[in-house]
Amino acid sequence: MFLTLLKKELFIEFRSREVTLSMLVFGLSIILTFAFTSNVSPVIVANYAPGMFWIMVLFVTAVGVHRSFSYEKEFDAFSMLISAPIDRGLVFLSKWISGFIFLTLMEILILIPFFKFLMINFPQDLLIAIGTTLLINLAIMVVASLVSGIAMRARLSEVLLPVLMFPLLSPVIIAATKISTGIMAGEPYELWQIWLLIILTVIVIFALVGYTLFDFITEE
Amino acid sequence: MRPFFQNKTNRVWFLLAAGLMLFNVWNVIANTPMVPDQHWAQKIFYVHVPSAWVGFLSYFVVMIAGIMFFIKGDDQWDDVGLSAAEIGTVFISLVLITGPIWATPIWGQPWIWEPRLTTTLILFLIYIGYFMVRSFGGHAERVKRYAAALGIIAFVDVPIIFVSVQFWAPEIQSHPQVEMASQPSGILVPFLLSLGIFTLLYTLMLKYRIHVIRIKNRNVADV
Repeated sequence: MFLTLLKKELFIEFRSREVTLSMLVFGLSIILTFAFTSNVSPVIVANYAPGMFWIMVLFVTAVGVHRSFSYEKEFDAFSMLISAPIDRGLVFLSKWISGFIFLTLMEILILIPFFKFLMINFPQDLLIAIGTTLLINLAIMVVASLVSGIAMRARLSEVLLPVLMFPLLSPVIIAATKISTGIMAGEPYELWQIWLLIILTVIVIFALVGYTLFDFITEE
Repeated sequence: MRPFFQNKTNRVWFLLAAGLMLFNVWNVIANTPMVPDQHWAQKIFYVHVPSAWVGFLSYFVVMIAGIMFFIKGDDQWDDVGLSAAEIGTVFISLVLITGPIWATPIWGQPWIWEPRLTTTLILFLIYIGYFMVRSFGGHAERVKRYAAALGIIAFVDVPIIFVSVQFWAPEIQSHPQVEMASQPSGILVPFLLSLGIFTLLYTLMLKYRIHVIRIKNRNVADV
């Protein structure tokens, strides 16, 4: 059933491309703004680049998740989805994993403009950078999917989503910036392993909490 | 529903809490020893730490109320959750006010990203979101569920926030303050007393606020 739900999310997205496209265009606009507002030496920009990247991801996630849940509101599709005889926790899992796929897709597309526009060198250990980024994406999306489950059907959902999501994601953003800074500087794994542990903790705890609570949150 | 203070037990509790709080203020000002490096600034800890304790206790009650609301489906637990969230936020605001008051003369600036203070600030922001959901959430029944879920999520996130902030910037977090538990008995005993009195005051405030919210809900239902 989970795979069916995930397929549904992916089919809708591949037909409309609404989520990925809006995330991508918004991300590019943020990079452009960063480039204009930080017109200093590449060394200074390189110091701030990991933070800038994750700020961009945070903003883009808010837009993407909002879009992903708001098309469920059209024709009251979400009510029909949750009235189907399926475990609602699986709906949460499908939203989480599909969000993770869209975010990763967006990052792949935006990576070259980000590094080239801001004139930063790619990290040397690309494989580790990719692996940790995937884990961070999972952590960001697990919190974002849970929060958007709460904010989606609320009035002022577009305001509530970032207001709730940003403080809840603060440990993830701190950890993500620390990990990326470590990798960019070529630091050994031992120096940033604690941050990876925090990311894994967020994934496990919020996946469990989300899976359990989503049933209650979405109750009619 | 009878007015809160028509109940004799409530009146006694109120007088006891008010009397003890006045005694606490006098005791802290007149009887506690001056700490050489900090002088009067240190006295704020008799308010700051109990406020933090009550604030976090209150948010813990919000989480328990949220769990009970989901298990029992009883609106009474929603009243408890809302009351505890409101009172918790009042005390957490006190922490965020008294912290910088103490820090200005001691650290030389009102704000340093000290882990406990930063965690409190993040939690405060989460609860601002909680009240926004309560106000702008839309359908009343749904809002109760959203609020219960947020109360649980917020408290679950606290240890992760604390650990991440603690490791985030250790170089700007060094400060000379000594843990209250390691203080000499001249400071520790009045501090524990203050902690107890604040907890008593919190219990009474929670009881009163639940009473007020239930009257309000009943009036809304009557209309």
